Amino acid sequence: MHKFIALALATLFTAGASAAPQDAKALASGVCSACHGPEGRSVSPVFPRLAGQQSAYIMLQLDAFRGHLRSDPNAQAYMWGMSSQLGDDTIKELADYYAAQKPVPGQPGDSKLVAAGAEIYGKGVPAQGVPACASCHGASAEGAAAFPRLGGQHVDYLVAQLQGFQSGLRSNAPIMSAVVRTLTAEQIKAVAAYAASR
Amino acid sequence: MQQDRSWKSVVMLVFVGSMLLLAAGGAQAVPSFARQTGMACEACHTVFPELTPFGRNFKLHAYTIDNLPQVSGMNANKDQTLALNQLPPLSFMFQASYTSTKAKVPDTQAGTGSVPADALAKNGQVLFPQQASLFYAGRIAPNFGAFVQMTYDGTSGTFGWDNTDIRYARPANDDFLWGVSANNNPTVQDLWNTTPAWQSPFDQRSATAPSPGQSTMIDGGLVDAGVAGLSVYGSWRNSLFGEFGVYHSAPAAAVVDSTSSNVVRGVAPYWRLAYERQWDRSSWEFGTYGVDARLYPGGGTALDGATNRYRDWALDSQYQYIGDEHLVCVTATYIREQQQLDAFHAAGLSSNASDRLTTIRIGSSYYYQRRYGGALGVFSTTGSADAALYPGGTPLTGYANSIPDSKGWSSELDWVPYENTKFALQYTAYNKFNGGSSNYDGSGRSARDNNTLYLLSWINF
Repeated sequence: MHKFIALALATLFTAGASAAPQDAKALASGVCSACHGPEGRSVSPVFPRLAGQQSAYIMLQLDAFRGHLRSDPNAQAYMWGMSSQLGDDTIKELADYYAAQKPVPGQPGDSKLVAAGAEIYGKGVPAQGVPACASCHGASAEGAAAFPRLGGQHVDYLVAQLQGFQSGLRSNAPIMSAVVRTLTAEQIKAVAAYAASR
Repeated sequence: MQQDRSWKSVVMLVFVGSMLLLAAGGAQAVPSFARQTGMACEACHTVFPELTPFGRNFKLHAYTIDNLPQVSGMNANKDQTLALNQLPPLSFMFQASYTSTKAKVPDTQAGTGSVPADALAKNGQVLFPQQASLFYAGRIAPNFGAFVQMTYDGTSGTFGWDNTDIRYARPANDDFLWGVSANNNPTVQDLWNTTPAWQSPFDQRSATAPSPGQSTMIDGGLVDAGVAGLSVYGSWRNSLFGEFGVYHSAPAAAVVDSTSSNVVRGVAPYWRLAYERQWDRSSWEFGTYGVDARLYPGGGTALDGATNRYRDWALDSQYQYIGDEHLVCVTATYIREQQQLDAFHAAGLSSNASDRLTTIRIGSSYYYQRRYGGALGVFSTTGSADAALYPGGTPLTGYANSIPDSKGWSSELDWVPYENTKFALQYTAYNKFNGGSSNYDGSGRSARDNNTLYLLSWINF
């Protein structure tokens, strides 16, 4: 037992000085993964999946967290702190790291809901002034640059974001605030279910 | 120079802390972690002190996740030799409470001087504070962090060392992380809220109400005697957790001699294994933990010869659901203690050479929007009949039936107006207390006379 204690103490006091400054990959696997999952494949729908997300979108969001421009409740609770000490270079490296990961395949949802959502996603709701989601987020919901990938995302996360745009809790995307203005709760559920299933 | 001084003072604080390693009760959540990470309390706690999966991860990583400007140091090999918060991660905690028992308890001075033998203490005890604590809680250096608590105890009026967990952790690769913890309370280093040091939902109890006389060594016995321990742990993919450690006697503000009680012979091995699965907004844990302690009874007898051996093994399980509005947690633990009482038996302090003690606790809690909550739980400790070990004759604390059994239930209403402020109204009812329902102490007291209403206000800043 004395040997065990000596060994443990020796480990404790010699290992401290050998940690190199963290690079983006180490940051992602050592810190971000606690919520966003290994390689950005999160389990809880509170935390968005980042695997395969558009690099430009991640950079925009991290910059918005850092500048307190995105202030939905979870952004404040988690990301204001997490982003506060990130430099521009690290943000770029983190964004590129997650963009390079293999996205989570879409999960088939309730077929009726998904079918209704497909209609909104592909054609919009002209009568309500809602444009087609596909025109910015892509036909397969893969996203493009500043427009995020929605495919493979948690349904609950997408619903929370759309609700946030509508209520003003998330106000860092003026385009989305305008787009979702007239969507009903049922339409939000449907379009989120469809986008996540891609 | 300034930075050098603050580093030294922190090292000094931690050094003094690890040297003292004195123990008391209590379980806390600390705002200095929020200051250090820049994250709200809700990131790590559902409602303090219960941990979320991220909170467990933060603890597993030795409290080192940090988002503050740093005082940094690096050597020629590009090894980071210093990463110190520009402000020390300090917090303060204040608890005030009101306690009322169904029947008044005997006056502590009953039968002495001019106080009649049947004198009763005043009911309705107010403690202001019940407990006040100062914490250093956060990163000390790269991969190295501490949770260190000093506490003023409102019942004893003393300031002493409390829960301490100083740990080092580093990832071996993306899947595996290992660490070392030096601590003064078996299970204070644990990640789940099932184990004795951080049990949810009834982590707080009245400091003045009568409490059952018997508990297992892992469930308060060792921490009361005073121990210091060192353990190594490993975590694979935040899913499998294993820990092995040893505890040595380190009583509060004292050297170990024949005046000490329950002194560990050599070291007492401690182990922990747990499996956690996370899905959607839920997590489920199942595990086992235990300790094997050979103790000299001490308390006026020399610390050699026969010992009492306490082998505790426990099973525990926790389910947690964290929704945007609804939060649910169910915890359960089962502790079985095999007592080989060689020292007690030889001295006539126990009737049997070996006894058993079993504790079961099941609790569940619900919170709405992390603000309004309630909890319900049952508890039971049962054991062998032993006339010498469990004697009658003492009002309130005696065992007229020579058995240690205590059983009952607790309920609680909580209001958490701010993430760092909690008000709790708790009621504990006993069906059995120290081995009986009515006249359990031989002086006419019933178990239900000890039913306790407890109001706690608890702030952390």
